[in-house]
Amino acid sequence: MATRHSSFGKDTGLQARMVLTLFLLGLVYAVFIGVLIAVGAATGVIIVVAGVLLLVQLFGSDKIAMATMGVKEVAPADEPELHGIIERLCVQADLPKPRVCVMETSMPNAFAMGRSKKTTTVCATRGILELLSPAELEGVMAHELTHVINRDVMVMTIASFFATLASMIIQFAFFFGGGYGNREEEEDIMIVVLVSVAVYAISFMLLRALSRYREFAADRGSAVLTGRPSALASALLKISGTMERVPSQDLRAAEGMSAFFIVPARTKKSLMNLFADHPPLEQRLAALERLESQLQGAV
Amino acid sequence: MGLRDILTGRHEVKGPAPDRLFAISTAYVTLQAEHQIEPAGTAAIVFQALATSEFEATLRDMEEVVTATGGESATSVSTEDDSYGYRWMVLHNPAGAPSVEDLAVGINAVSGSIETAGHGERLLCAVFAFADAHQQRIYFIYNYKRGYWYPFVPDPSKPQERLTERELQIKAQMASELPIEPELERWFPLWGIPI
Repeated sequence: MATRHSSFGKDTGLQARMVLTLFLLGLVYAVFIGVLIAVGAATGVIIVVAGVLLLVQLFGSDKIAMATMGVKEVAPADEPELHGIIERLCVQADLPKPRVCVMETSMPNAFAMGRSKKTTTVCATRGILELLSPAELEGVMAHELTHVINRDVMVMTIASFFATLASMIIQFAFFFGGGYGNREEEEDIMIVVLVSVAVYAISFMLLRALSRYREFAADRGSAVLTGRPSALASALLKISGTMERVPSQDLRAAEGMSAFFIVPARTKKSLMNLFADHPPLEQRLAALERLESQLQGAV
Repeated sequence: MGLRDILTGRHEVKGPAPDRLFAISTAYVTLQAEHQIEPAGTAAIVFQALATSEFEATLRDMEEVVTATGGESATSVSTEDDSYGYRWMVLHNPAGAPSVEDLAVGINAVSGSIETAGHGERLLCAVFAFADAHQQRIYFIYNYKRGYWYPFVPDPSKPQERLTERELQIKAQMASELPIEPELERWFPLWGIPI
């Protein structure tokens, strides 16, 4: 019945970059496992330990983070507007309703947590509720819900599994390194450590790139979901303008949570885009502007 | 959503499910006859109004179509934007002659023209207003994404509260007549329904 499939074009470039990044990550990890097996290190033990860590991360990290950040669930009667926005977005996105939380801080931000659609929490700070208009808040919440739909927490946790493993090996080697007497074994350990360092460095950058692509995908998802790309752009402008003015004490406490936020909590400017987990604001605004043009039929 | 979509972070908004809107135009007979729930003579459809000239033109054309098809039954149309930025098209039966069939036809004309213009994924819900013997407002909400109905009974004495017990009674009464949303957590409330 529909004459057009969608108001927005496909973003094949973004998808291609994401697939390439995942491929490179897989390649690095495959080489890593190969070296571990070739050297005959206690690979089994390491993988089991890392596996347990991964499970803890997947199933516990949201609870730990929520407990340490002072996030509390709010009832519909307490925050009718926030609940109303999220309920409508859930109808639109065909999602079950997530838990809705508010974090009592003046820093304007929002994040989503949970590994699947059924166990999701979305959280807005008091600052963002006061700062944004309903349409802008809706754009931000749609961005967070897109993270949920795309299973970004799970993808990032699993994608960083071997990077975690490599960093563990480096730490083990640091604490227990040397003193084996056997020359050949020491050489093997050196090789494993060097490879681990390389794996960690490369996968760190790839993971950051992946994280940035997922942010673009979530911005796009928000625009598609709400049909209002410019509302999200306006929200990003407002938030980033305020981010630079809020007290840095607040920011430092929150910096560890940065990957989950809509705008990263930063005390200092990043040196290079290569290491940033969020794309620069200008690029996000430019991408949203392209979406608005597509919507308006100009492209 | 497949593994590939998850890995590439690709997500498109779901369009409408197979249409079960017209289930209401037979179910209301049971509501009226067996449960003393009377149609209030109004229905509404809520959707995201895209801020594009093309979408506005679609809406103008549609309003003409609905007014024209409603001509014989004298169904009137009005438009309202709510505080969340969603657009409501409200259809009224003429006073004293509530007709659920006419309303369903009108709502279907609205959703049909939005879908024909290629914006089916912007449709959220259709709402039909009823009242029971105690003048309690009862809404039947049709979720376009899922193609299911569910009752929504707001508590008149408390804001943001709903009478879940009454809703579940209605579900039990109507389960054989209406395709009722099976997952209770999808019974999203719509506060501030303008009918």
